[in-house]
Amino acid sequence: MKLLLAEDEKELARALAAVITLQGYDVIQVFDGEQASAELSEHVFDVAVLDIMMPKKDGMQVLREMRAAGDNTPVLMLTAKAEVENRVEGLDAGANDYLTKPFAMKELLARIRVLTRDTEKTQGPLVFGNVKLDIEKQELSCTNSIRLASKEAELMTFFMRNPGKELSTQTIFEHIWKDDKDVTEEVVWMYVSFLRKKLESVSADVFITGEKNGSFILVQE
Amino acid sequence: MAENGIYGGCKESLQHVLDDLKGKIKQYSSEEKKKTGIKLVEHLIARIKEEDSMREKCRRRGLPETPDSALRELYDAIGIRVVCAFRDDIYRNVELIRSFPGVQVVNEKDYVKNVKPNGYRSYHMILLVEAPYTDIDGNNPGKFYAEIQLRTIAMDSWAALEHQLKYKKNISNTELIVSELKRCADEMASTDVSMQTIRDLIREDN
Repeated sequence: MKLLLAEDEKELARALAAVITLQGYDVIQVFDGEQASAELSEHVFDVAVLDIMMPKKDGMQVLREMRAAGDNTPVLMLTAKAEVENRVEGLDAGANDYLTKPFAMKELLARIRVLTRDTEKTQGPLVFGNVKLDIEKQELSCTNSIRLASKEAELMTFFMRNPGKELSTQTIFEHIWKDDKDVTEEVVWMYVSFLRKKLESVSADVFITGEKNGSFILVQE
Repeated sequence: MAENGIYGGCKESLQHVLDDLKGKIKQYSSEEKKKTGIKLVEHLIARIKEEDSMREKCRRRGLPETPDSALRELYDAIGIRVVCAFRDDIYRNVELIRSFPGVQVVNEKDYVKNVKPNGYRSYHMILLVEAPYTDIDGNNPGKFYAEIQLRTIAMDSWAALEHQLKYKKNISNTELIVSELKRCADEMASTDVSMQTIRDLIREDN
């Protein structure tokens, strides 16, 4: 796990880097906003800790620029300002979390763990029954394997993260096709049908119950 | 014996058996078309295995190059490939072939459901056909083995490409090609299943 630490107070920065490194993170340290922006635009990080008050460019500006460039690296902001307004401003600008100085080291580490937890979760394959879904490769496998189209993979991911739960046509539509204005709820039945046949074709012991326009459940035989 | 070749003078009988099988497949295919409107067979390829390649196969299997090896130990002297448009059509064809009179299915392998590790998909049947022609034991009606392979158009074009890889030597990045071929096989299977699903959805609506 690679972590960017942008903090201009030398003493604090050194202490933070030492503790975070001890937890097994690969820490890259910078001491002003310009260096932080440069690192973020050149390298990939799993998480970034940005102080707000920094020389050359403040943390808020660094955050806004990286988000504008499409960089979704999780960001934890550090600040001496405890005002509600500041916290809201930071979160609205795209920060994932916020910590006010002085803070307990334990809490900082716990919050970093929260921010990196999500990325760990999306990397590994999902498993239910004898079926495995590799999200990155969009591959559904069991006794043999088959590739899924991107919306099929999204729908299968949704089912596998919610096995045994009743998912209505509307819930599915809003979850998977929320940004797609060209399709109607009819698409749900078609994609459920695709997944059913594909599960069958890999000899899966799980299947999707339910009828057209109704609710669907992923269950194991 | 040598002038009779690897098939020991039975080549004519084999050709008749092949033609009869082909005829039966064409017949049920046109009947099914009239009944359901579905074209069960897209193309039909039928051949008697060439002398050279049968001899080569005997050597590869460590068998003597004799009519007995070619006709009793190996089963694909008579070979037919049925290529279908849709996945479920494979199983309908299998069902119809199984019901041929005088034909016994001695072995079947469903590589559509149990895909080979390289991604190969196909349905294989070995038939033992009793027909009014003289076989190598001198019997008439004789007994003849035939192999039938059934697959979709997508599986067929994949298999053609994979076949090229098998016989081409010194390809530099074999490992990558093998894994990309596997990916293609899975993607094509995905499309086959989607097409089948769409056909089913259209038919449900009507």
